[in-house]
Amino acid sequence: MEIKKSALAGTLESSDVQILLSPATDGITIDLQSDVKKQFGDQIEETIKKVLLSYKIENVHVKVVDKGALDMVIKARTITAVQRALDIVDEPQWEVL
Amino acid sequence: MPEIESLDLNKQSVKIKWQNFLKKRGISNFADNEITNIDTTIGLFEANSLIATGSIAGNVIKYVAVENETNESKGALFNKIVSALVSCLANQGIFHIFVFTKPEYSKTFEHVGFSLLATSEKGVILEKGMPDINSYLMAINASSKLENKKIASIVMNANPFTKGHRFLVEQAALENDLVYVFVVEQDVSLFTTNERVKLVKQGVSDLTNVKVVLGGPYMVSFVTFPAYFINSPIDIIDYQTTLDAQIFKNWVVPQLKITSRYLGCEPFSKTTKRYNEILQQQLSDVISIKIIERKMIDAQIISATKIRLAIKETDLLLIKELVPLTTFKFIKNNLNILQERIQKGQKINGN
Repeated sequence: MEIKKSALAGTLESSDVQILLSPATDGITIDLQSDVKKQFGDQIEETIKKVLLSYKIENVHVKVVDKGALDMVIKARTITAVQRALDIVDEPQWEVL
Repeated sequence: MPEIESLDLNKQSVKIKWQNFLKKRGISNFADNEITNIDTTIGLFEANSLIATGSIAGNVIKYVAVENETNESKGALFNKIVSALVSCLANQGIFHIFVFTKPEYSKTFEHVGFSLLATSEKGVILEKGMPDINSYLMAINASSKLENKKIASIVMNANPFTKGHRFLVEQAALENDLVYVFVVEQDVSLFTTNERVKLVKQGVSDLTNVKVVLGGPYMVSFVTFPAYFINSPIDIIDYQTTLDAQIFKNWVVPQLKITSRYLGCEPFSKTTKRYNEILQQQLSDVISIKIIERKMIDAQIISATKIRLAIKETDLLLIKELVPLTTFKFIKNNLNILQERIQKGQKINGN
């Protein structure tokens, strides 16, 4: 699937994460800002990539501002951002969830 | 947990409360041209009193302030307000956001994903989202073969492109290996951005080492330098031109390996004259600044202002004398449209 428009999900509040997806042509790039990047940076990126992969998204630029979100929150926010970017908010892909 | 509410500044009582809250926290500029372009203002209340607020004007976040003594921490309130503003902008399809703030709040914004573009004593400018300055500069696609070459830059509104502009570009093209001509992207002039870019491209098409690109929101735009378009006092011009020059210095110069910037000497506009002075102050330690005397034709200085006046007065002879053939043809073929724009209130005596 191709991301044709930018989409945002999540907030900047404690225990949440804000995810911005933008169209790109050169693969998946993740730009992560987090206080716990050293400890959990790889894991956060892994969670996001897994969601993107399940939607078969190969090209996208992801900006992440993490405020200490748990894994499931990161997953949920990424799914929301993807559904918004693909304009399929009303038709959730249950197999991904 | 307080909820976000929108504030209607058209209601005098709300506006006064809001202003008092901001004044107490050191924000005191409520000039009309600052207030009138606000699209949305939101607030958080606790026991009926305002404890946090923020506003949006276009793609700029303004007037953010947070109460110190509440049940919630100051940081949590700040993050909540900024989140709400960012989501509100995203709903409008705006994903690239700017904020102007005092230097002491720079870190607070950086903590929620903003990155610092430029600093001056009075204020800083930060951006968040995509496309950002990195993607803007990447898209210009600087050739890697340009190590140790002479690379010039010119920023122009070219409203419209005259023989004066042509002369400036020619000089730079002669003295350098490559010339970037950045055309102001803000679409508020008599000639639209598309028209201006087209006329610049046509006017320099024979110069093989000139590359014409748009200046994005980073060079003389409503974001970095609104005073260029709106008559403003000198201290505001100084502050804005400093930020504009700093963005050029910190980002554009290193990324595109620019070695000089060419400026047209400015005998008329107070704003542009000051801009030139500030550019010299700010940039001359990293690149060379070349000020080129204005080209004269029959003892008269060429200026785009003059052309616009001649359009209004249908003085095609004068126009023909002062602009390249490509610009002249365009003006001749579109005279009615241009005059209609002037009649509809498009200002022609500014920049």
